[in-house]
This record gives sequence, C-alpha cells and structure tokens, in this order.
Amino acid sequence: MELRKFLRIARWEVTKNAGGIDRRTAAITVGALVVLGVLAPLIASQGVALDSGIYRAGVDESSPYHEVLTDDATFAVHPASSDAVEEGRVDILIEGTEVVDWADSAKGRAALAELRSAVQRFNDQLMGQDPNQTAASPVSVTLRYVERSLATTQSAGDGGADSGGSDDGGTGGDGTGGTDGSSGSSDGSDTTDGTTGDTDGGGDDSGGGPLGGLGGLAGGLGDGGTSGAPSDIAPPFPFGSLVLAFVFVLPLNFVIQAYGSTILSERINRRGELMLVSPVSRGDIIVGKTLPYFLGAMFFEGLITVGLLTLGAEGATGWISLLAVTPLVLLFLGATFLGAMFARSFKELTFVTVTITVALTSFAFVPAIFTDVTPIALISPLTIVVRDLQGQAISLVEFGFSTLPAMLTAIVTFGLGAGLYREEDMFTQRPIPLKALDALSGRIKRRSSAAKLSILLLPFVFVTELIAVAMLFAVPQSFALPAILIVVAVVEELAKSIHLYAGFVHRKYVRTTRNAVIVGSLSGLGFFLAEKVSLVVQLLGGDIPDVEQAAFLTGGAGPAVSALVAIALLLAPLALHAVTATASAIGAARSRRGYVVGLTVAIGIHLAYNLTVVSFVVG
Amino acid sequence: MLALLIQLFIAAFSSFLVVGLTSLYDPGSVEAAGLEVGVSGDAATELQEAAREVDGIETVRFGSPATAMAQFQERRVDAVLDGRLENGTIAVTATVPDGSIQSTLAVVQIRTILETLERTERVERAQWLDRPPLPLPQETSASPYFGFTYTVLVPLLLFLPPFISGSIAVDAITEEIERGTLELLRVAPVSLTDIVDGKALGMAVLAPLQAILWIVLLGANGITVRNVPWLVALVGAASVLVVVVGVVLGLVTARRRQAQLLYSILVLTGFAGLALLPEHPTTVVAKLAVGSATATTTATVVALALSAVLLYAGMRRYVRTLDPERY
Amino acid sequence: MIEVRDLRKEYGDFAAVQGSTFSVERGEVFGIIGPNGAGKTTTLKMLAGLIEPTEGTVQVAGLDTDDADMKRQLGFLPEESPLYEEMTPVSYLSFFADLYDVPKNVATRRMHETLDRLDLDHRDRQLGDMSKGMKRKVAIARSLINDPDVLVYDEPASGLDPLTTNFIIDFTTELAEEGKTIVFSAHNLFHVQSICDRVAIMNEGAIVARGPLSKLREEHGETTYHVYTSVEVPGSVRENGSYKRSVTSMQAVEQTREAAADRDGTVIDIRTEESSLEEVFLNVANPDRAGTASSTADERSADSEA
Repeated sequence: MELRKFLRIARWEVTKNAGGIDRRTAAITVGALVVLGVLAPLIASQGVALDSGIYRAGVDESSPYHEVLTDDATFAVHPASSDAVEEGRVDILIEGTEVVDWADSAKGRAALAELRSAVQRFNDQLMGQDPNQTAASPVSVTLRYVERSLATTQSAGDGGADSGGSDDGGTGGDGTGGTDGSSGSSDGSDTTDGTTGDTDGGGDDSGGGPLGGLGGLAGGLGDGGTSGAPSDIAPPFPFGSLVLAFVFVLPLNFVIQAYGSTILSERINRRGELMLVSPVSRGDIIVGKTLPYFLGAMFFEGLITVGLLTLGAEGATGWISLLAVTPLVLLFLGATFLGAMFARSFKELTFVTVTITVALTSFAFVPAIFTDVTPIALISPLTIVVRDLQGQAISLVEFGFSTLPAMLTAIVTFGLGAGLYREEDMFTQRPIPLKALDALSGRIKRRSSAAKLSILLLPFVFVTELIAVAMLFAVPQSFALPAILIVVAVVEELAKSIHLYAGFVHRKYVRTTRNAVIVGSLSGLGFFLAEKVSLVVQLLGGDIPDVEQAAFLTGGAGPAVSALVAIALLLAPLALHAVTATASAIGAARSRRGYVVGLTVAIGIHLAYNLTVVSFVVG
Repeated sequence: MLALLIQLFIAAFSSFLVVGLTSLYDPGSVEAAGLEVGVSGDAATELQEAAREVDGIETVRFGSPATAMAQFQERRVDAVLDGRLENGTIAVTATVPDGSIQSTLAVVQIRTILETLERTERVERAQWLDRPPLPLPQETSASPYFGFTYTVLVPLLLFLPPFISGSIAVDAITEEIERGTLELLRVAPVSLTDIVDGKALGMAVLAPLQAILWIVLLGANGITVRNVPWLVALVGAASVLVVVVGVVLGLVTARRRQAQLLYSILVLTGFAGLALLPEHPTTVVAKLAVGSATATTTATVVALALSAVLLYAGMRRYVRTLDPERY
Repeated sequence: MIEVRDLRKEYGDFAAVQGSTFSVERGEVFGIIGPNGAGKTTTLKMLAGLIEPTEGTVQVAGLDTDDADMKRQLGFLPEESPLYEEMTPVSYLSFFADLYDVPKNVATRRMHETLDRLDLDHRDRQLGDMSKGMKRKVAIARSLINDPDVLVYDEPASGLDPLTTNFIIDFTTELAEEGKTIVFSAHNLFHVQSICDRVAIMNEGAIVARGPLSKLREEHGETTYHVYTSVEVPGSVRENGSYKRSVTSMQAVEQTREAAADRDGTVIDIRTEESSLEEVFLNVANPDRAGTASSTADERSADSEA
C-alpha cells in the first residue's frame, strides 16, 4: 500500500463528490437542520408524550381522583355516567375514591394499572409539598450495589460504615447522583456517593413513557437513583446513557448511506475497472475510497464528544470515548462495504443498509442501555463511551474486551469485501447468498486456508454470541441457558463449515471424503486455536456473569477442577471442533442437501457436548 | 422478498425491544419468583411487616448489619435491608447484588416493600399532614407492555414501511437515470409521467399492504388493533407523501447519493415538524389502534390524506413539465 | 514483448479460455478475432492483469501482470468506456496521470497533445454530457496518459458511428506506426484486415488459427475460379453475354473446359478470387461449411451488418 496513492484516491473521492454534492443539496441540508433547530425548542416545550390520551376515564370533578387524572396526559377525562363503560365511551369509571367499573379487556386493566401508578405519583408529589416532612416522608433509603465474588468469599467487614444517608429528605440536590464503578473493576465493592434526593419528592422521573422528556441530558447521566424516598430508587436504567448512545450512532447511519452509494457506483457500468488496471493496489483503492467517510464520521463523533463535554459531562476524558467509538465507525463502514459488494442494485443496497443500520444499532445500542447493570454491557463499545461520559474509570482490559471484537469484525468484513474487489466478482450480477460464498472462496488458496478462515470468522462468532447473551439477558435464566447453548452450537458450527462449503462449491477443494476430513480437521484446529486466544483474553477480563460464562465455558476449564480433568477439558474442545467440522465437511463435499444434513449432525454433537460440559462443571 | 425478510428482521428486533426494554422499565414482570431479604436494625419489625404484604418476599432477621452482610456474601440472602430510626423517620440502607439481572429485580421488589412501608407510616402520621394521601386503587394483572405496544411498537411498525417505500422510490428513479434507461423513453410509446406514475403508485401501495399484514400478525399475537380502515388510510397517505418527496428529489437531483441524503433529512425533519400539529401522527396511530380516537384524531387523518392527494397531483404536474432528454 | 503460455481461465464448470499460447513482438499489431463469447475479452483482460488466469502465464516486457511496473507500461481500453460522469476530461485525465505516477507538467502537456490529436474540444464539460464518440476519445486519451509501450484495446471502434470509427482506426494505425505494440480484438474484420500484422482466430475459448493474414488465407481460405465459357454448361449462369461457372478446384476447371468443348464452345476467360479474412474466419469457426463458402459468406456478412 502506498501512502501517496491512497491519499490521491481519497482526495479524488472528496473532490468528485464535492462536485457531486452540489451547493443546492448543501443548502437544503443546512436549511432542514436550521428548521429542526428552530422546531426543537417548540416541540420540547409541547412535550413529546407519545401516550397522551390513550386511556379514557370517566370521572366527575367532585372526585379526588379528578385532579390526578387531569394532571396525567395519558388519560382523556370524560364526565362520569353509569353506563359509559358498557357503551365503550370510557375504559375506566370512577365515583368518589372508588373505581366502580372498568372495561374487561387488556386496555381496561392497563388503564387501571396506570391509574394506580398515577395516584402513587400524585401522592408522592403531594407529600413533597407538605410542611411536615417527617410525617410526609417517613422513610428514606440509600441503595448500595455490592459485588459478590463468584468463587471466593469476601470478607464483608467494610462497606456498611460510610454514606449512611443520615440527612434525610432532600437537600435540594441537582439530580446527578452518579454511581461510580458500579461494576467491573476489582475494588469496586461500594458504590454510593452521598445523598441527593429531590426537594419535590421525586417521582417525576419515572413517568413519561419510554421516550418522554429528552431533556436533562446532564442530569440523566447517572440515573441509577441511589438514595432518597422509596419511589426515588430505580433499577439502573440509565435513560441519559440511552440518549447519548443514540446520539453517537445516529450520524453513522447517514455516513454509510453515502459510503454504500459510492462503493456500489464503482460497480455499476464497470466504472471501477480502469482503476484496477492502473498501478494501484486494491488496498489503495479501498483505503482511499473509505478514508474520507471514516474521517467524516470521526469528525461528527468528535463534534458530539466536544458537545457533550461542554454540556457538562464531568470527569469525562473525551478521548477515550472517541477511541472507543472508532471500532464502531469502522464496523459500520466495513459492513456497508461488504454489503455494497454484495448488492446488485441500489434497491438492494437500500435493503442492505437498512439491515446494517438495524443490526449494528442494536448491537451498539442495546447493550449500552445496561451500562450500569451488568458487565455484559461491555460487549458494545458504546458502553465505554457512556461510562467515560459518566466520569467512570475504564481499565485497559475492559477497553480491549469492548473494542477488540468490533475492531476485528470490522477488519474481517473489509477483508472479505476486498476479496470481491476484483474484475471477476465486482461486475457480475449474482444473488447475495452466492456472493457471500464467493467472498469466502476468494480467500481460499490451499487446504490450510480452512484453518485460516475459521480463525478469521471467530470475531463474528464472538460478537454474535455476545449479542445473543445480551438479548437473552432479560429472560429467566432457566430459559436463557439452554437458549445460549443452542445459539453457540449453531453459530460455531456454521462459522467452521460455511467456508468449507464455499470451497467445495467453487472447486477449490476436490470433492472427496479424504479431502473433507483434512479440511474439516484443519478448520476445527484453527477455530480451537483462535478460541483459546480469546479465552485467555476473557480470563484476563475477570468477572464474567453466569450466563456469559455458560456460553464460553464450553471452550475451556472452569474453576475448581482437578488438573487431569482440566487438561481433558482443555483438549476435548479440539477433538470436538475437529469432529463436528469434519461432519459438516463430509456433507458439504457431497451436495447442498448433504451439507445441511452434515451441519445438523455437527450442531447436534456440539450441543450434546456443551450440555455435558456445562452440567459437569456447573452441576 | 428481501423486503419482507428485512421487515421480519425489524419486527423481531422490535419485539425484542418490547420484551427487553419494557422488562427493564418494569422488571417486576420478568420474574416474581422468591427473593430472600435479610433484615436488620431497630426498624426490622416494620420492614418485615411491610414485606409480608408483597408477594414472593421471604425475610430473615439478623441481629446486626455485619452478620446480614456476611450472609449476603455467602449468597444465603439476595438482598439486605438495614432500617434505623432517626429523628422520627426510618432510614433504610438497602444492599443489592451488583451486576446481574438479580440486582434489577431486587431493586424493584425492595422499592415495593419500602413504598408499602412508607404508605403505612404516612397513614399512621396522617394527623400531622395538611392533606392525607389518596387511597390507591386496587391492583390488577395488567400487561406491563400494553402502553408500549400501542404507543411505540404499532407506530413503528406502521410508519417504517412508508419510510422504506419512499427510499426505494428514490432508488427506482435515480437508478433509471444513472443507468441511462430514461433516455430510451424517447423511442418508447410511454411518457415520463406514465413511468413515474407506475413507480410511485407501486411503492405507495406497498406500504398500506404491509401495514395490513402487520395488523393481522399483531392480531394473531393477541394485540387487537382497532380502526383498521383509518389506520390503513393514514399509512397510505403517509406513504404517498414520502413517495412524492422521494420521486421529486430523484428527478431534481438525478443522483442517488444526493437524493437519498436529502430524502432522509427532509422526511425526518418533516416527521419531527408534524409535532406542531394538535396530534402527532404517532399519537394518532396510537389513539386509533387502541380505540381512543377523538375528533382531532380523525381530522388529522383526513387532512393528511387530502394533502397527500394534492401533493401527488402537484408532482404529476411537475413531471409533465420535464423533458426526459435532460437525463 | 508479450508472452502468453497455456493461458486458461475457468468460471466454475465453464472454460472461457482453454489454453492459449502466443507471443507478440515489439512494435507488432496483433489482432484477436472471433464471435461473441469466444473468449477475446477474457484473454485481453488477463493480458492487462485484470483477471487472474486459472492456469498459465502472461508476461509483458518480461514482467508478471501483477507487477506495478508492468501496469505502468500498459494502456488498456475496455470495450465500453465507463467513465466518472461528474468529472471533466481534464480532471479525469489528471487523476489517472497521478495514479500512473506521471509528473504533473508532463501529464498536462501530454494530455493536451493527445486531445489535440484526437480532435476533442469541450475539455471542461462533464463527461456525463458527452456523446459516445467523445467519451471513447477520452478513454483512448486515458490509455495513452502514461505513454505506454503496450496497448491492449478491446473493440476500440465498436458501437460508434462510421466517421468516428474510421477516425479511431486511423488513429490506432498511427500509434502502430509510432512503434507501439498493440493487441486488440474486433469482430469487425475490416478493421483487422487494414492494420493487423498477425491475427489469432478464437472460437469457443480456443485459438483455432493464427499467423499472418496471407498464411491464414492459404491454409483456411480457398481460391474460387470463375470460368467464363461461350456456351452454357451445367451449373453455369449467364453473365454479360457469356456463361460463368464458379468452381473451387483445378479439376473442376478442367471438367468445365471439357464440358464446353463437348458443346462446341470454348473457355473465354478464367478469373481467380482469394477468400477474404471474413471467409477464412467463418471457415475456421465452422469447418463443416467449407466448400459452400462464397455463396453463404455474403449472406452472413449481410446478417452481421444488419
């Protein structure tokens, strides 16, 4: 790769499009943004209450609940009449302090539940205004998150003493009760800091629906309310983080639109052919075409970081955020690049971009919501960003755990896409699944490529499994564990064998059983080696929650087992991966149907093995 | 085909959002299974009494906070509550495990205990209060997802197809231009208006069909959507509006990149700008679907439909002034 | 200058090029002809290093095709000229001059010289607004921006109006006279005939004949003898007061002479006619039709022009 060459291509990409994105487009864009800027305060002042008026309540002004219901935008208030519910005019009917009738439907019950929480909020607000705070707020609470170590018992001596929360009932805090080090680092066993509590009795932060009230960015940073009245404590659901995470991901979706377009347009009408005959390498072309979009995206992210810093994210470094967001930017671009190499037309590209947007946004965004809840959140680089903006310290291992899988996946997507960036694949119109096989088979040179590809695909496996872990995080463990094991078996077997299938289809491997055994074993070996490396990284990473451990336990030894068993457990996966990959390979050497059968068998074996190991180690 | 796959993917993602986010928002719905709480301090009795009123809570009393914490570390109890009487109020220090789903559950359960305690204490002290707290209505087994389903999920599912339709309309127009096929129109017996009509209407019809599909699927999952004709009309109007935007941008810029960029920005701006209406279209969808429509709701649908028809007519007029040779 | 050995390209089960071997000398003009799908374009793209051969080797000036130095010595013109529509000829050519490491001042001078020779004005107009012929001229200028020794042109004059076609053929001839080594493909045989030193005929992926045109004619063409007699003989047609019978062997000429003598007539004249390259090509491509040559050849060429 030559610096001068790819910089020249990058400059061309910018100037060509500077002519392309003309003044009119730029003007309209700026205009639209200005309009949005003008509208924003207006809209904010109105409040974006998505759920306003979805329940209808019949209540008379004499009822004490009338005030509650008119305060709560969720309810549309109608005059009470005894047959209103039967006639379907209201969902809930109130007389005095008595709910006399409600619709016998999901809606009626939801309305009643909403009424109950509305009354609770109303009460809290009422009590907050009472001059006698001892009577109005008889209970105050301080919440502490304390780590329980997995294997060893920690002396519980310290901890209890500090932060008693003694000055009860609101000193008029500003709401930034930031938790610090609520997870992860080894010393973090005590996590509260001081007391805050709202003067107005709190409660106002729990309403508004999932999107209500985007305001209070800074205040929302540490939303895992830790002290105050009972209704102030909330499970760690950092709404502020959620908004932040979204702000970081949003511009990427615009950048990949333009990036996908420029890559695909090289492929339309064979435009890119001439650059391929010139004395520049494929790498130069790809880096040159990507660089402007990468720098553009990083510029946006930089602006956002600076903006958030000035908005008052105290203790944030900023540069850690920017560094953590880099792999994410690359991942978006890499996936789009590969997608644009697959797509046959702009229409397909639009679908591909939408898929990438949804998939990667959920990968980055959903785990980041759990930032203060669980270390699993670290699978998303955005978690690092959110933590940094909350002013928390981040260890190097955490940073690596969070960013490396995304980084490696980004590199692999670029690598696979680059494999298609040649005359034979670029300009042909093949369905996307076949293109995917082309991309893989483009990387096959000899039989040992089987091992190499298994290693290359490991980041994908890793990220997919982590996403599965994150997705199953919320469901009961009795269901999550088997589900995780199934996901692991399916994903790993696919990653080990799909490139073997591509090799057989493209005649890179000769279709014999002997060959199938050889490439199958090599693929298993490669996967085993890569898995071991990633295991070491994880052991360094330290505390891994139970569910996640189950996902990766099958790759290595658990604690507290004898040396012999440990060795057996270490080598057993090698045998497993080789055997299952061979099973798939033998099927793949036959035909497509053969591959499906082989793969199913492999998944079955893998699953059985996983269940054995997990029940042996855990049970 | 691919379109449907992506839609399914988005639906899967959305239902994950429903389960995942809502359970976090109201984690009590995930698991009501037993939580063992260690109780200590001089307010232990009050805490135990309050806990008795909450389902699925077992309490164990300890002499000192230290022993309770030891048991907590040994995983004998899931959480510890230490209550002290201070200046006539009860100060509780709650300890929950860090970094797991249990902590979320524990916090919710503990909040319920403490709110019960607070209520009891307030009633006992009601004579010193200016205005006593209102009694709580009875509890029901309502689905915690109900509001979310109608205010977020249904609007998301119904507005996504129009947005994608408009985006594909941009592609359809710019692709013809970039591949040079519009030039062939000179010799073909169809006019530019015919072509644009065909493409625009095809896209505009697709979105309401998808909306109907979603409504049927939601119905199959036990989510009843009411006022279906109104909703379909609204989705139809929305999709005509965005398709008009897409087609015009495609014809004006003749380049996909600009057109798509402008399309995204303008449609999102427009969508946000609609908040200035008395009811935002998402609220309209929610109210219609849940069956709480008002006169404003239906008036909004009618207004949107009218503006869709007008804009479409405007687009056709604009297309008629165009000379296909300029492409 | 160009050495091609056992060149083979497979796409799955389909062999697009099946083991070609040929070499091109410095300064030579080498034509590759054949019907659509014969493997001409694939062969040229392998010469230019765009496609990696499944088997076999290509060397240009002693260098492998993946060598950047080799690419610097080669000018490639693809069959269709895909250009970046939003660029102007000047910005387009300067960009490629940069990619080919041509110093800026040299590039500017060379660019304008070439465009002058190609008679192209409107150098600041967007490429997207230009006619097909103008685009092709810009593409040719691009193939010359690095002053290459070897030119690989795929159908340089196809799909253009006759005037531009002739212009481009003449231009290519000039380039050959300047000493450039040129390999090009065509299915319009007239162009090949007028400028090629040697040709190779490809059909279904294989080179079925090669050599100087005269040699190919000898081997695959045939001589037609038009025997004009004073009386009607079997198989003759009346033409300008005499009778003409067209035959393809000296024996048949003798038979005709005897037949005329039997009918008290004489042979007035015998004219010989050599096959055109077109006929050679058709004979090679379809050996079965040899013998019915001249009668169908005209129809075929009429077809292909239509």
